[in-house]
Amino acid sequence: MTAVLQLLKRTQPITPETPDEALVRRAQAGESAAFKALFERHVVAVRRFLRDLLRQSDLADDATQETFARAHAQLVKLTDHDRFKPWLLGIARNVAFEARRVRQHDVLEEEDDVPDAVIPSPNPESVLLDAELEKHFTEALSVLSANRRAALLMRLDHGLAYEEIAAALGWSLATVKNEIHRARLKLRAHLLPHLTGERP
Amino acid sequence: MSRCGRTQQLEAVATGEAPVALATELRAHAQHCALCRHELNWLESETAMFRQRAGRDEVAHLWAGVASRSGLEAPRRWPRALVAMAAAAALLVLVGRVESPVPSLAVAGTSEAMESDALMSPTLFFEAGAPCSKLPLGVGFQCSQPVPASFLASR
Ligand SMILES: [Zn+2]
Repeated sequence: MTAVLQLLKRTQPITPETPDEALVRRAQAGESAAFKALFERHVVAVRRFLRDLLRQSDLADDATQETFARAHAQLVKLTDHDRFKPWLLGIARNVAFEARRVRQHDVLEEEDDVPDAVIPSPNPESVLLDAELEKHFTEALSVLSANRRAALLMRLDHGLAYEEIAAALGWSLATVKNEIHRARLKLRAHLLPHLTGERP
Repeated sequence: MSRCGRTQQLEAVATGEAPVALATELRAHAQHCALCRHELNWLESETAMFRQRAGRDEVAHLWAGVASRSGLEAPRRWPRALVAMAAAAALLVLVGRVESPVPSLAVAGTSEAMESDALMSPTLFFEAGAPCSKLPLGVGFQCSQPVPASFLASR
């Protein structure tokens, strides 16, 4: 009977509307098409997250593949079926940190000073991320410590809730909020010279 | 950060996560509150930059690596060179039908066995009588001549 139900489930088509939660359950039941759908849905985000953490495209490619391979191997352990993305980014962050340790390129980043002065704000309507601004944007991100950067990216780039970030990184909610706040101030201070003036 | 203490709500406005009513209310508030306006300007600018940056990546090639590491089936793909070769050959067969009698294969005027570099060469000619065994393994068009079993066994 269970086998029949599983077979019926498997024959349901996978569409863009199929929620992650359903895909996770189907992938846990051994349906590789469901896992591939999860891959296709999240690979762009994971790859960008890893490129931002590792700052090297080829390393990010390898780490992306490793992240999904680990996710596949550990998927049975995921009990919060609707939290696939935070869980996945948590794995990606671990993979990135391992890669960095192996490379030993990154020195320990010291606790940085966060600018406290009130700075002007840009006009969001005139923000155009051309190649020049993207370069400064990438630089500004790279100034942040890796942990802080991971938290900021999870929130701003990948839309995770603060609680999800806390769970993914194993931090308290207060730490997540504080880290993202500090990351933001630093990002803004770096970007300010390259953005144009306040909206009236 | 907004000293109104509404940073997280403003953030939800900037990212589009906030309900419409709340977004409308906070935007109206920000018109009169310099701190919230400042914060919202920044939040919206950050959101705009992250959004513009997203979706510029090419990632399709990564599945093969995941599949091989996970024991999942990778999509079967022909090597590029073979695809190019098959396309070139198909084109030449079509052209050959118009311009010449039944073609057989030779590479740019030489009868040497084909090297892998030659697979990308657009200068492939078909000459009558040349054996199909000169086709690289895996090229996907039909051979009208029988291939000897000894040749197949040697591969
Ligand atoms: Zn206010």
